[in-house]
Amino acid sequence: MTSPADTAAEPVETASIPASTSRRSARGGGSGGLLLRFSGLYIWAAIIVVFGALVPQTFLTVQTATGIATNEAVTIIVAVGLLFSLAAGGFDLSMAQNLGFAAVVVATLSTVGGHGPWFSALVAIALSTAVGAINGFFVSVIRINSLIATLAMTSILLAATRLVSGQQFRGPLPDALRETSNAEPAGVPILVLYALIVAAAAWYLLEHTPFGRRLYATGANPEAAFLAGVRTGRHLFASFVITGFAAGLAGVLLAGKIGSVGPDIGPSYLLPSFAACFLGTTQLKPGKFNVWGTILSILLLATGVKGLQLLGGEQWITDAFNGLALLTAVSVAVVSARRAQSGRTVRRSTGRSAP
Amino acid sequence: MDVTTSAPRGAGPRGASASAPALKVQGLSKTFPGGKGLRDVDIEIAPGTVRALLGQNGCGKSTFIKVLAGVYQPDAGATAEVLGNELSLGSSRGAREAGLRFIHQDLGLISTLDVTDNLSLGSSYANTGWLSGSRERRRAQRLLDRYGIEIDVRQRLDHLSPAEQTLVAIARALGDDDSSAPRLIVLDEPTAALQSAEVALLFGLIERLKAEGNTVMYVSHRLDEVFAIADDVTVLRDGAVVANRPVAELDHDSLVELILGRTVEGIEPGQVHRDAPIVLEARDLCGATVETADLTLGRGEIVGITGLLGSGYEDLLFLLAGAKPRERGTIELDGQLVEIADPHAAVGHGIAFAPADRKRLSSIQGWSLRENITLPRVPTGAGRWLGGRAEHRDVKPWLELVRVRHSANSLLSTLSGGNQQRVVLARWLRIDAKVLLLQEPTSGVDTGAKHDIYVALREAAAGGAAVLFSSSDPEELAAVADRVIVMSDGAVTTELSGGSLTVDNLIRASLAVAPQGERAS
Ligand SMILES: Nc1ncnc2c1ncn2[C@@H]1O[C@H](COP(=O)(O)OP(=O)(O)OP(=O)(O)O)[C@@H](O)[C@H]1O
Ligand SMILES: [Mg+2]
Repeated sequence: MTSPADTAAEPVETASIPASTSRRSARGGGSGGLLLRFSGLYIWAAIIVVFGALVPQTFLTVQTATGIATNEAVTIIVAVGLLFSLAAGGFDLSMAQNLGFAAVVVATLSTVGGHGPWFSALVAIALSTAVGAINGFFVSVIRINSLIATLAMTSILLAATRLVSGQQFRGPLPDALRETSNAEPAGVPILVLYALIVAAAAWYLLEHTPFGRRLYATGANPEAAFLAGVRTGRHLFASFVITGFAAGLAGVLLAGKIGSVGPDIGPSYLLPSFAACFLGTTQLKPGKFNVWGTILSILLLATGVKGLQLLGGEQWITDAFNGLALLTAVSVAVVSARRAQSGRTVRRSTGRSAP
Repeated sequence: MDVTTSAPRGAGPRGASASAPALKVQGLSKTFPGGKGLRDVDIEIAPGTVRALLGQNGCGKSTFIKVLAGVYQPDAGATAEVLGNELSLGSSRGAREAGLRFIHQDLGLISTLDVTDNLSLGSSYANTGWLSGSRERRRAQRLLDRYGIEIDVRQRLDHLSPAEQTLVAIARALGDDDSSAPRLIVLDEPTAALQSAEVALLFGLIERLKAEGNTVMYVSHRLDEVFAIADDVTVLRDGAVVANRPVAELDHDSLVELILGRTVEGIEPGQVHRDAPIVLEARDLCGATVETADLTLGRGEIVGITGLLGSGYEDLLFLLAGAKPRERGTIELDGQLVEIADPHAAVGHGIAFAPADRKRLSSIQGWSLRENITLPRVPTGAGRWLGGRAEHRDVKPWLELVRVRHSANSLLSTLSGGNQQRVVLARWLRIDAKVLLLQEPTSGVDTGAKHDIYVALREAAAGGAAVLFSSSDPEELAAVADRVIVMSDGAVTTELSGGSLTVDNLIRASLAVAPQGERAS
C-alpha cells in the first residue's frame, strides 16, 4: 500500500513531448495536419530519390536496403523499448549502456566463461531487465528524477561493462548465437524479423491494451491518472523494466551479429534511439510516442546517413545530419501545431497545460 | 511571456473623451476548424459600469474574451475601440497597453511555483539584477494586501484551493502599478469555484474598481450574481449576440429565457430516504484538514456537503476516495469493512471520485473525450484487444446522457469549460458506481445543462447509487440534495434535511451560526 504523501497524486516527473499540442492537427483533419503527419514518408521518399539520382549504382541496390534494415534492426528493438518509459513520462538514459552491458555479458560468459550460449544469453537479458527494475525502483518508489537516476545508472553500468570485459574484445561468440542473429530465412535477414515482431508486440501493448492506455495516462497527467484509479507508480516501474528488457535483448542480438564484442559498443545507440522516439512523435500519431512513427524515423535517418556515406561523406556528417534532422522536424511540428490551434496563437503562460 | 507591464499607458492625452465607450467592438467573428465560434458580435460598454456576459456552455463567451486578449486571432473585418482609441484585435500586447486586464477561465497560473513567483512572473520581477526572495515576497504580500486577500505568499499554487487560486489570478492580472488610467477588467467565470463569503469579497473588489472609474466585464452562470453586481448584460447564443440590455429591465425568468431561448422547469424536490439501506459508513475519519468525521450514505440518496474554505468539506471526499492519506478511521461498504488505500482501490470497490480541479485533476486535456471517459475502466473485448471503434460505441450513450454533442474523438481541450465538466461526469457515471463522490459537479455549467446534470444524478441515485456532492452554492444544495452535511473546523457540525434545508439555514450553518430547525450532534 503506497499512500502518496501530502499531495493528491503520486508525483511522477514527465517526459515532455515536444509536439504534444500537434495532436489536434491529426484529429482535426486539417490538410496541413495530414501533410505533417505523413511528412516523414515524403521526406524518406525524397531522400531515396535524391541519393538514387546522385549515386544510383551503389544506393539503389538490394544490398543497401538490406544493409540499412539489418543495421537498424537493433536500434529499432532498443528504441521501441525506450518508448515505454517515455510514454509513462520517464527518461531512461541508461538504456544504451545497458545494451552494451548485455552484449559484453553474453560475450564474456559464452567465451572465456565457458557457459552455454543460451544460458549466457538468458543471464544477459535477465541482468538488463534487473537494471531496468532498479531504475524503476528509484524513479517510482524513491521518486527521484528519472534523468538523474538513469544518468547515475549509466555510470555504474559503464563500470560494470569495463569490469566484465576486462577492457578487451570478447569473441568469437559460439556459432549458435551468431546463427541466431545472422540467419537469412528466405533471403530475409532474421534480425529484421525480430525487430518486426518486437515492434508488433509493442504496438499491441501500447495501443490496444488497457496497460498501454494507462501508461500513456501516467505520462500525460500523473495526478489526474492517479485520481482516475491508475496505479501510476506501478506503471512507471513496469515501463522501466520493459525498457531494460528490450535493451538486454538488443544487446544479445547485437553481440551475435558482430561476433566479437568490444567494451564500447553501447553509447552509440543513445542519440539515435532518443532522436527516433522524439521524431516519431511528429509522425503518424502526432503528439504521442508511437511505435510506427519511431520506426519510420529510424529508417529515414538511416537512409539519409547511408546516402551521405556512399557520397563519400565523413563520419561527422552523420552526426550533423542526425542532429539537424531532429531539430528541424520537431520544430516544424511544434510550430504548425500552434498555428492549427488558433491562426496565430500568442500563448501566455498557462502553466501545466503548455508543453 | 508577458514582460511589457511597465509599458507606458495612459501617458499623455489619448483623445479619450468622457463619453467614449470603454470598449466598442463591431463585426467580430471567429471561425474554428470545427466551424463554431463567434458570428458578427457587436458590443459597446460604457465606462465605469459592470457588464455581465452570459450564455449557455459553448456559446462563445470564453472565445470572445480570448480574442480580446489576443490569444486567438479574429476573422478579418472586426474593429474595436477602447475609450475612443482604436485597438488592434489579436495582439496581447496591444490589449495590455490599451488597459485591458484578463482573468481567464483556466487562470493561467503555474501550479508548481509558489504564490510569490506566480505574481512576480506576471509583472516581471523587481528590476535590480539581483533576485531577492524576501523582496519579492514583500512585494507579493503588498499586492495581496491591497486587495484584501489573505493567502500565504510562500504557498505553492497547487496547495491552494481553487478559490484561493482564483484570488491569486485576479491579483496578478490587476498588478501593482498605481497608475490612475482606467482599465477594463475581464473576468471569465471567476466565481465558479468561490464560496459565498469569497464571492462577497470579490464583489467588494469589483465595486471598488468600479468606483475608481474602471470598467468590468464578467462571465458567470450564477444569475443571482448578475442581479447583484451587473449594470448591463450581453447574452450570446451560438456565437451571436441576442441581447444587450440593462439589468434593470430584466428579471430572473426573462433572463433565463434570453439565455436558453426557452424556459426551464424547476427540479422536483427529492424524497427523504430515511429507511434506505446504508451503502457507505465512515467512522472517525481523520486526515488532511479533516479532524474527525462520521458519515453514512444510504442507497438512492443525494447528499450535499458544504462548509467554509478549510473546514474539511473538500478533503473529506479525498479521504473517502483514498486520494489523500488517512490517519485514522474506518470505511464500511454495504456493511463490510474495506481498505481504500488509493483511488485504484476505490474504483475497484465502486467508489467514483471527481475532484473540482477539472483541468489539473479530473481530466487529461490533450486526450480525446473517449479516452478521458474510459480511463477508470478501460474496456476490452475478446482477447483483451482495446479497439477504437468498440470504445467509441461504449462511450457514446454516456456523452448523450450528459448532452455533449461533440464527437467522442474531439480533444477535451477544444470543449468549452462547462462541456468539459459534463464529460468528467460522464466518465464517472459510466463505471456504474455504488458511491459517487463529486466536487462541484455543476461548476461552470449553464442553467439549462445544470438541470440535465441534476436529472442524471437523480437517475443514478434511483438506480441505487449514493451520491455525495460538495457545492459552494447554497441554492443548488437546497434544491438538489435530500440532505446536506455542513462541516466546520474539520468536523461535521450540522445536518440539514426536509423543512430545515433552506438557503438561509445553509449559510448560517456554514458560518457556524445556529440554524433554525433541527441540529445534529
Ligand atoms: N481551440 C478550439 N478549437 C476548436 N473549437 C473550439 C476551440 N475553442 C473553443 N472551441 C469551440 O467554440 C465554442 C465556444 O467555446 P467557448 O469556450 O467560447 O464557450 P463558453 O461560452 O466560454 O462556454 P462555457 O460557459 O462552457 O465556458 C465551443 O463549441 C467550443 O467547442
Ligand atoms: Mg468559457
